[in-house]
Amino acid sequence: MAEWQDPHKLTEGEFLDQVHSFEFWFGTVEGYLHDRPYGFDAETEEIEMDDRRKDGLITTLCNYCIGETAALEASSGMIAFAPDRASKIFLSTQVADEGRHLEVLLHRLSMLGVRDPEREIEARANKSLLRFKERLLEFVDSRDWEAAVFAQNVILESLEFTVFRTHAQNADPITKQILQGIVIDERRHMGFGENDLGRRLILAPHTHDRLDRIKRELDSLVLTTFKQTLGELGLEGDEAPDLASDYLGAVARLGF
Amino acid sequence: MTNFLSGYSIQKWLESCPQGYLEDTVYGHEAGEKEPEGLFDNELLREGQIRSTCNLVLGERAALAASSGLVNCAPDYKSKTFLATQTLDEARHVEIFTQRLFDLGVSPADLEDTLNEFGNPHLVKFAEVLLEKVDKGDFVAGVVGQNIVLEGMAFSVFEMLHAGAQEDNPKFAHTLSGTIADERRHVGFGENRIGALIKQYPEKKAECERMQAEMSGHMLATFASAFKEGEASNEEARRLQKEQGKESHAMYHGVDLAQADTAEMEAVLADTVLKEFKTRLGRIGLEYQSPIAA
Repeated sequence: MAEWQDPHKLTEGEFLDQVHSFEFWFGTVEGYLHDRPYGFDAETEEIEMDDRRKDGLITTLCNYCIGETAALEASSGMIAFAPDRASKIFLSTQVADEGRHLEVLLHRLSMLGVRDPEREIEARANKSLLRFKERLLEFVDSRDWEAAVFAQNVILESLEFTVFRTHAQNADPITKQILQGIVIDERRHMGFGENDLGRRLILAPHTHDRLDRIKRELDSLVLTTFKQTLGELGLEGDEAPDLASDYLGAVARLGF
Repeated sequence: MTNFLSGYSIQKWLESCPQGYLEDTVYGHEAGEKEPEGLFDNELLREGQIRSTCNLVLGERAALAASSGLVNCAPDYKSKTFLATQTLDEARHVEIFTQRLFDLGVSPADLEDTLNEFGNPHLVKFAEVLLEKVDKGDFVAGVVGQNIVLEGMAFSVFEMLHAGAQEDNPKFAHTLSGTIADERRHVGFGENRIGALIKQYPEKKAECERMQAEMSGHMLATFASAFKEGEASNEEARRLQKEQGKESHAMYHGVDLAQADTAEMEAVLADTVLKEFKTRLGRIGLEYQSPIAA
């Protein structure tokens, strides 16, 4: 792989070109994807799950597939109107990441006995998440870069990051490894969104109000999704992790 | 369909591409490989290489726009995930050919101007025909245009450039061999996936065939002007080889590229690509159409 220059010696543009490149992505994912077909160590043994737990897990994974399909369709659609070549290349690495997430989750569903994932996903879909996907793709279709990056790389990625990280703590060993691999990717995608929007907000502070309105609209969909996901995973009541605070904290880094 | 598509999964892609033939490469070639020194002492030769590389960048940018645009309109998850890998492949090609322009002395600040100066206008029109289908969300025509026509053309062009570079420019030859391996996979997906869809939507045939004829016309016009513009640079390379007493024989489909004139080279490339189109279109149930003159 390429030997990277000392980032302190690079101009801002050179630094962004470097971290948004295929070469950089390749070097990054190599470490945690090598020898982990479908996102987990093949030696890992499946644990016994009772029917209720298994069914809850299937519903959760079906909804993760909806989130990842939304991210796949949004990130691929955004390439056409990304403002520069480095962003186009970064987004194409994100497209492959999201495609991989979808693939490993579908594979996990098949391991859990789901024969027709497309039908199962449709049947178990969370309505708030579907509405979120719809809104996100509307931003993409209207080629609204700021709104699309915000909804996709900040809100959706923060949502997934928060849920997956929390779920990984309580998950069976196979699902846990899969989610941990996805979380590493999500952190990279959030970094891109924060970095891109952070620079734009400095140059155009009025953008903040517009994005804030989008956030308020999408927050209710995100919070309902959290509540339903925790229910599916059997994490309710006082023992439930405070996903809402985690999510709002992640988004607050941008001043929202 | 399910079994064939599992051969195009991201897992397969990870194992065969980044963890396979790209392992230990830097921008697609071996670490430490450089452009031949002689290129930098001769402006005519350097400009010839910049010109052809600019067209590779433009072709790959079109492929990136098309494959990413097709993800949304793909009818099933497996096609979506395959197109996700293709999107990243195309972005990698944009990156490595852009890097080659930098290696040839183009400064990043001058990149877009250089592409505008040397980019072939017929290639731009070729891409426009395809991107119009993608913008309309037409998956069948988009995949035929992208994975059969564009990729079929790119595959043959890369093979010809590879044959020409093998002896004199191992760095560029190595860069090309990775892209050839990628294009082979993309063409394979197109043939396999789209055949079933053409059977399912026979009403799409006429539109796809018309698009192929139009794209082929722009492709031939691209070849004609590219070979004409590259003539002086080719002659210069031959003159230098003769002066240095070097003899090279780069064979491509029975033609010695080191000895053939530009008309012969253009003819063998056009003939190869059009024959490939005929074969591949036939496999997916489409009838090859003669190019519409651009």
